[in-house]
Amino acid sequence: MKKLIIKCFLYIFLILIVLEGIVRVFHLYNEDPPRYIDEYGVEKRVPGHQGYAVTGNRNQNFSEFQINEAGFNSEGEFEPTSDNFEVAIVGDSFIEGFHQDFYSSTGKKINAQLPDINVYEYGYAGYDLANQMHLIHSYKAQFDLIDRIIIYLNYESDLSRGEYEPNHDRINMLKSIKFKIRDNIKLLAYGSKIGILEPIKRVALGKAFNEPKSGFKTNTLEPSENEQIKIDKERLNNFENLMDLYGFDRNKTTILLDSGKTSDSFLDYCKAENIDIIDFSSAFKNSKKPTTLIYDKHWNNHGRDLIAEEIVGYLKKKRTF
Amino acid sequence: MIIIASYIFYGWWDWRFLILIILSTLVDFYVGQQIFKNLTDKNKSKYWLWASMAFNIGLLGFFKYFNFFVDSFIDAFSLFGHELQNTWTLRVLLPVGISFYTFQTMSYSFDIYYKKLKPTQDLIAFSAFVAFFPQLVAGPIERASNLLSQITNKRIFSYGQAADGLKLILWGFFKKLVIADSLAPIVDDIFVNYSEYPASTLILGVCLFSFQVYGDFSGYSDIAIGTAKLFGIELMSNFKFPNFSRNVAEYWQRWHVSLSTWFRHYLYIPLGGNRVGKLLSIRNIIIIFVVSGFWHGANWTFLFWGGLHALFYIPVYLMGRNRIYADNVIAENSWLPSIKEIAQVILTFALVTFSRIFFRSPTLTASFEYIERIANDFSYSPYQHPMGYRMVDFYILIVLFIIYEYLIRKDERNPFKFKSPTVRFAVYTILILGMLLFYDDGVNRSFIYFEF
Repeated sequence: MKKLIIKCFLYIFLILIVLEGIVRVFHLYNEDPPRYIDEYGVEKRVPGHQGYAVTGNRNQNFSEFQINEAGFNSEGEFEPTSDNFEVAIVGDSFIEGFHQDFYSSTGKKINAQLPDINVYEYGYAGYDLANQMHLIHSYKAQFDLIDRIIIYLNYESDLSRGEYEPNHDRINMLKSIKFKIRDNIKLLAYGSKIGILEPIKRVALGKAFNEPKSGFKTNTLEPSENEQIKIDKERLNNFENLMDLYGFDRNKTTILLDSGKTSDSFLDYCKAENIDIIDFSSAFKNSKKPTTLIYDKHWNNHGRDLIAEEIVGYLKKKRTF
Repeated sequence: MIIIASYIFYGWWDWRFLILIILSTLVDFYVGQQIFKNLTDKNKSKYWLWASMAFNIGLLGFFKYFNFFVDSFIDAFSLFGHELQNTWTLRVLLPVGISFYTFQTMSYSFDIYYKKLKPTQDLIAFSAFVAFFPQLVAGPIERASNLLSQITNKRIFSYGQAADGLKLILWGFFKKLVIADSLAPIVDDIFVNYSEYPASTLILGVCLFSFQVYGDFSGYSDIAIGTAKLFGIELMSNFKFPNFSRNVAEYWQRWHVSLSTWFRHYLYIPLGGNRVGKLLSIRNIIIIFVVSGFWHGANWTFLFWGGLHALFYIPVYLMGRNRIYADNVIAENSWLPSIKEIAQVILTFALVTFSRIFFRSPTLTASFEYIERIANDFSYSPYQHPMGYRMVDFYILIVLFIIYEYLIRKDERNPFKFKSPTVRFAVYTILILGMLLFYDDGVNRSFIYFEF
């Protein structure tokens, strides 16, 4: 018995070492640059980190990131001046762009068509509109120098709150020893990413035994018309509240959205309030090629091309540069 | 310890059904003693044997087949223009493993009746035999003469046996997690949306299902056999590389061996087997295949599947080739198989895979539509994985799996028979790496044979 246990441990240990080596050599793990909350309460990445984001269900998407001094994934620094024309695109993971190399981002695609302007991408995975407007408000001096601000709004998920609160708990959790160990043992990071540790975690926490027996998914009911009206109203209230709290310069702020996923009442509101929108719904619908990655909803290279074209078209139409 | 572990294991799924196992245990324990007591009186012992069968088949009939018979009865009436209101079908949950443990307890009564076994006086040991957790829910279906004696005898820890058990567990996990679970979403997609796919995809779907069901069930059996070895118990082999069978008869000597031997011993031979003349033997073959199909599930598709196998088996039987491969494997004395063997294996695989259209489809109509689409609309277009994976990964995986199984084809109990510890270590690492690479959190991981 003793011999078996010793041999098992030895084999498991050696196999884990070899697997750790394989995961490192083939870079199967995802690098997530560290996050922090700055002195203004803005959540961002720690500057100066470079590495590779590995995404996709077979780790097939391998892209390089580079965190600039401002704490965002970008090739260049954000140094707006009153002499140049600058455009800021503010948004969540779609703008942060860990699914693409930082040197072929949406901003770079806009730049390729409009070389005279500078495009700054303030993207951060997990941002909602409250994060975005708090960022613009907190870095007012910088954004005052920027000539046009484009906010990417995912209507269904970005308007759930009317005021920003920094999430210190999450940042502290990511700084905890548990997460530090996970980040340093790449096999663990890889296992965590593919979800293979979940069953072990569930067993360890005793949750595995309390799960429904059938394994069938329950129905997800669509909200009724009245409920949808209530949800839309709440989202609109949150939007108004955010504008009151952080300000909203209608002259230079534009909302980038997909009208197919946005309520009519919100679109009507924007129209009535003279808030510019860039709607990429029809460009995506009419596209003969897929616009998102096959394994998740983020834009693929073609999707980013279309977004860049929409923004370029809008900027040209406005002729503000 | 074994019995406590087994009852906890089963009770975790649904403690209420523990009552069924305990009841089945008590009934057969008592019936076994009564059969033995009355062995001198043929009628009385037969009466007790029938009591055991009535109880076990009654359990199965109620939990597994009641709704099927009611629905079929109503359908039959509607054929003659009588529309009956269906108020009899019950919402009964099928107890996991009921088909396995009821057959196991019946084998105990049969063995005593046929004087192959003396009844045990040890109720605890008998309870452990019925509920032995590694094989409780999906087999192998053990015979009392093999398992009960091992439980009652004193067992001593053996390093070699435990190490072999761990190796089988690893191999079983690989077959389940990598082969079966990674093919499941493809097979599900193709069988659900068969009306939208070209013939080439439908053929791909059923071929992959062959590997899925093999990986799933043989994987479970290996884990069960391996776990039993850790307790010093040797369970019978359930799969002996059926994909290398050279005819359908050999296939049934290699696929779900514990079930086919059960039917052979307790149904085919009592019916007269092949000692009753050609015509009656053919009748017996048809009976065991149809009953075997029905054992798998209360659905006409399984009956049809069983009937189809009888149809494939009978010509082999009539040609006298049903036992010629019983004691040898493909390429028995050479590295590579002959052209003839390759052709035989391909033909057998094609027949068995074809029958699986009925095994996998939800209804007979769906099975025939599936076949009709292949036959009438033969066209090709590349298949795209529903979750965006590269299909080539799966093709390579299956080819490597076939090659590896071919290399180890002579000993299903020892999948890592390499002299060099370095090679063994490399193989273990590759298998675990395969589990990591093909793991998908979103896949439903339930075992197919848990449904039976």
